[in-house]
Amino acid sequence: MSLLRRTLDNIYPHVTEGGKYHKFYALYEAVDTIFYSPADVNHGRNHVRDGIDLKRVMIYVWLAAMPTMLMGCYNVGLQANSVMQSMGITEVVGWRGDMLTLFGVGVDPNSVWDNFWHGFWYWFPIYMTVFIVGGFWEVLFASVRGHEINEGFFVTSILFSLIVPASLPLWQAALGISFGIVIGKEVFGGTGKNFLNPALTARAFLYFAYPAQLSGDAVWVAVDGYSSPTALSVAASGGLEALQNAGFTIQQSMTGYIAGSIGETSLIAIGIGALFLLYTKIASWRIMFGVAVGVILTSLMFNAIGSDTNPMFSVTPNWHFAIGGLAFGMVYMATDPVSASMTDWGRFWFGALVGLMTVLIRVVNPAFPEGIMLAILFANLFAPLIDWFVMQANIRRREKRYAKT
Amino acid sequence: MASEAKKALLEPLFVNNPIALQILGICSALAVTTQLSVALIMCLALTAVTAFSNLSISLIRNHIPSSIRIIVQMTIIASLVIVVDQVLKAYAYQTSKVLAVFVGLIITNCIVMGRAEAYAMKNPPWPSFLDGIGNGLGYSLILIIVATIRELFGSGTLLGYTILAPVSQGGWYQPNGLMLLAPSAFIIIGLTIWAIRAYYPEQVEEPDFELQDAHQTPVQGGVH
Amino acid sequence: MPRPKKVFMMRDIGRYQQGFLNLPNDNMAKTIIVATLLCLVCSIVVSTSATLLKPAQVANKLLDKKKNILMVSGISAESGEQSVDELFQRIETKVVDMSSGQYTEEVDAATFDQRRAANDPQYRVDLDKSQDIAQIGGRSKFASVYLVRDGDRVTKYILPVKGYGLWSTLYGFIALESDASTVSGITFYEHKETPGLGGEIENPRWQQVWIGKQLLDDQGRLALQVVKGEVTEVTPQAENKIDGLAGATLTSNGVSNLISFWMGDNGFGPYLERIRSAAPQPVSISSDYSNRG
Repeated sequence: MSLLRRTLDNIYPHVTEGGKYHKFYALYEAVDTIFYSPADVNHGRNHVRDGIDLKRVMIYVWLAAMPTMLMGCYNVGLQANSVMQSMGITEVVGWRGDMLTLFGVGVDPNSVWDNFWHGFWYWFPIYMTVFIVGGFWEVLFASVRGHEINEGFFVTSILFSLIVPASLPLWQAALGISFGIVIGKEVFGGTGKNFLNPALTARAFLYFAYPAQLSGDAVWVAVDGYSSPTALSVAASGGLEALQNAGFTIQQSMTGYIAGSIGETSLIAIGIGALFLLYTKIASWRIMFGVAVGVILTSLMFNAIGSDTNPMFSVTPNWHFAIGGLAFGMVYMATDPVSASMTDWGRFWFGALVGLMTVLIRVVNPAFPEGIMLAILFANLFAPLIDWFVMQANIRRREKRYAKT
Repeated sequence: MASEAKKALLEPLFVNNPIALQILGICSALAVTTQLSVALIMCLALTAVTAFSNLSISLIRNHIPSSIRIIVQMTIIASLVIVVDQVLKAYAYQTSKVLAVFVGLIITNCIVMGRAEAYAMKNPPWPSFLDGIGNGLGYSLILIIVATIRELFGSGTLLGYTILAPVSQGGWYQPNGLMLLAPSAFIIIGLTIWAIRAYYPEQVEEPDFELQDAHQTPVQGGVH
Repeated sequence: MPRPKKVFMMRDIGRYQQGFLNLPNDNMAKTIIVATLLCLVCSIVVSTSATLLKPAQVANKLLDKKKNILMVSGISAESGEQSVDELFQRIETKVVDMSSGQYTEEVDAATFDQRRAANDPQYRVDLDKSQDIAQIGGRSKFASVYLVRDGDRVTKYILPVKGYGLWSTLYGFIALESDASTVSGITFYEHKETPGLGGEIENPRWQQVWIGKQLLDDQGRLALQVVKGEVTEVTPQAENKIDGLAGATLTSNGVSNLISFWMGDNGFGPYLERIRSAAPQPVSISSDYSNRG
C-alpha cells in the first residue's frame, strides 16, 4: 500500500463513529474518494457495474466548462485592453495591475497573452472566492448533517463564476454563492435533493439584490467608468436593426469578442463543451434539443406576429442563440441532471419550456433583458410535474396495451 | 393569572406560532414588511382585530345559529377592520397610505377567522380575548423579525433612522434590493421557521416517505 | 365594542328575552333576528366611526398633499419651525383650463381634486394615441396649479404631473421658476417602480439634479429629457438633460415622457406659454440654483 493509503487508513479510526474527530468525517471522505474509489459496496439485489459515478460526472462537466473559461478570460482581457487603448490608459490600477506587472504582462489588446492574463485576474479571484466560500458552506453542512461532501459543488462554483460580469465585486460573489449553496441546495438536503439549479439561484439572488452590479451597461467591460451595452440590451432597445447598426455580427458571437458575462459570449467554446458533454453522455441531448426547438418556434411565432412598438419581436432565432446567455444556459445549466426532468420525454418538454420562457421573457417582459436564467429556474419548478405527466401517460399506454391483449 | 389564560396568551408566541407553525396570514406578512414602522402598525391593527373579534364572538357564541356562523364571524371581523382602517386613516395617515389595501385584507387574514372559529366559538370571553392577543403577538413577532431584517438590509435604515449609510447617499452600504421584494419575506419566514423548529424539534412534521440510503458507510474503513 | 352592547340591549327587552335566548340556535326566527341585530349593531359601529373620523381623514389627505407641494417648492427646507398649514399660506392654489391656459373659476380651487376629475366624465378629456405620450389615457380638462408668491410677483409655479413608468403610474409635482422654463424642483410621491432601480426617482440626490435645468432649449423648443448615463459640463445641451437612472431605462423614459406631455401642448403648454409671454422676466433668479445641479 502506498504512503497515501497508509496515512488515510491511519486517520480513519479518528474520524469514524466514536472517534475524536468524527465531525470531520465528511472532509476525510472527500479527500479519500478523490484518490481512491469508495469502499462502499452494494447492499441490495440489483448491481450495476459502470465506470461512471457522481464524481466523474461532475469532473467532466467541470472540464467541459474549461473552453468557455479560457475564452472568457481572453475576451474579458481583450475588451478591457481595447477600451483602455482607445481611452489612452496604459496601466491597470489596483492589485490586478500589480499582478500583471509582477508577471511582466502588458495590456496590449493585440497580444493573446496580455489579454488572457488581464482577464484571468478578473475571473480567477471570483472563482477562488466562490470556491472557498461555497466550500465552507458545503463542509459545514456535510459535517453537521453527516452527509458526504458533494462534488456537485465543484460544478456549481465554476459555472457560477462564468455567468457573472467580470467586474462583479468579490463580496457579492461570496454572498451570491452562499445563497445559492445554502438556500438553493443545502436546506433541501444537499446534492440530489435540490429542485433549483444552485448556480442560477445564486445569480438570480444577486440579480435581484444588486441589479446595478449585474445588469445595465456599465458592468460588462472591466474598465472603470466605461459602459458598453451587451448585444442583448442593444437588441432590446432597437431590435435587429440596432444590432446591425451597432456593428454586432453573428461571427462576433461565434468567437465571443463581445461584451457579456465571463463565459457566455463565445459560441465556439460553448460548442466544444457541448460536444464533449454529449459525447460523454453527461448532458442530455433531449434537453438541449428541446431548448433549441422551443426557442426557434417561439421566436418564429413572434417574427410572424410582428410589432410596431416592440423591436424584440423581429429578432430571428439565429440571433437569439447568438446574443445573451442562451447558448451557455442551454448547454451547461438546463442540462443539470438534478434539477431538470428525469424521464426521456420529460427532458424534451422541460427543454422546450426553457426555450419558450427564454424567448417570452426576452421579447415581452420590459424589465428583464435576459430570459434564460429565469426561464431555467422556472422550468426547474415544473420538472417534477412534467415527469409526473410523462409517467402517467406511460402508465395509461401500458394499461391500454394490456387491456387489448 | 390562571394557567389556562396564560397558556392562551403565551403559547402562540413560539410554541404554536400562527405564522411559523400554523402557516396562517403569510400574504400580509410578505406585503407589509419592507418598513418596520409599517409592520408595527399592521401588527397593532391585526392584534386589535383578532382580540376584539374573539371577544365579541365568544360573548355571543351560544346564540350564533350554526347555519350562518361563518357569515356572523365575517360580519363582525369586517366591521372591526373597517373601524381600524378608519382610525388609521385619521391618525396614522402616512402609514395607512403604505398599508393601503392590506388593512382591508385583515378580513381575509386566516389568523382572525381561524382563531374565531377554532377558539372563540368554544371558549369563554376572557380566554378568547387573551387568545386573540396572543395570536396577534405571535403574528407580530414574526412580522417584526422579517421587517427588521428587510428594512435594515434593504434600505439600511430602521424605523426610518439610517443605520447603514447607503452608497446612494454617500455612505458605504450597498442596499440589498431583493430585501425590498416580496420573495425575500418568504425566505426570511422560512429561515425563522427553521430556527424555531431547530429549537422545538417536536414541531417538525413527519416525513412523507423515508429516503433510502444509497450506500452505507463501510464497516472497515478504506480497505479495498 | 359591538357585542357587549347587544347583550345589554337584549337584557333590556325584558321577559321575552329569556324565551328568545332559549330558542334552539337553528330556529328560523332566531336566525333571522340574530342576523338582523348583528347587522344593525355592526352598521351603527361602522357608520359612527366613519362619521366621527371623517374630518381628521380629510385634513390628513390635504396635509399630505400640501407637504408634497411644499417639498417641491423648497419652502419647507428653508424654515423648519413653522407648521405645514402656516407655510402653505404662502402658496396660492388656482385652477387652469388646460386648453386655453387661462385660470378658471368654474370649479373651486380649494376643493378641486384633479386625480378624481381625470376619471370623471364631466371633466375627462380622452387623449388619442399620438397625443398620449405619457400613457395616461386621458386627463382632466382643468388642472390645479400652485403659485408661490413674493408680494405681487409669482416666484414659482408648481404643477402636478403623472405618467406611466415601467410598472406603474408615477405621480409627482414639478416646480418651475417665474420664467416658466427653469426647473426649481421635482418630486414623486406615488409610484410602484422597482426598488433600487426605477424606485430611485424618489432619491433626493437624483431630484437635486433637476434643479436649474431648462425645459426649453436655445430655440425655445421643449427639450428637457432624461438621458442614458451621466450628464457632465461637457455634455452638449447639458441644461436640457437629466442623468438617467442606472439600470432603469424604462422608468427614465417614463419620466421623460411625462415631462414632454405635461410641459407640452396637450398639457400645461398653453398655460406656460401665457406666463412666458405675459411676464418675460430675467432668468437671473435661476442662477442661484444652477450651481446646485
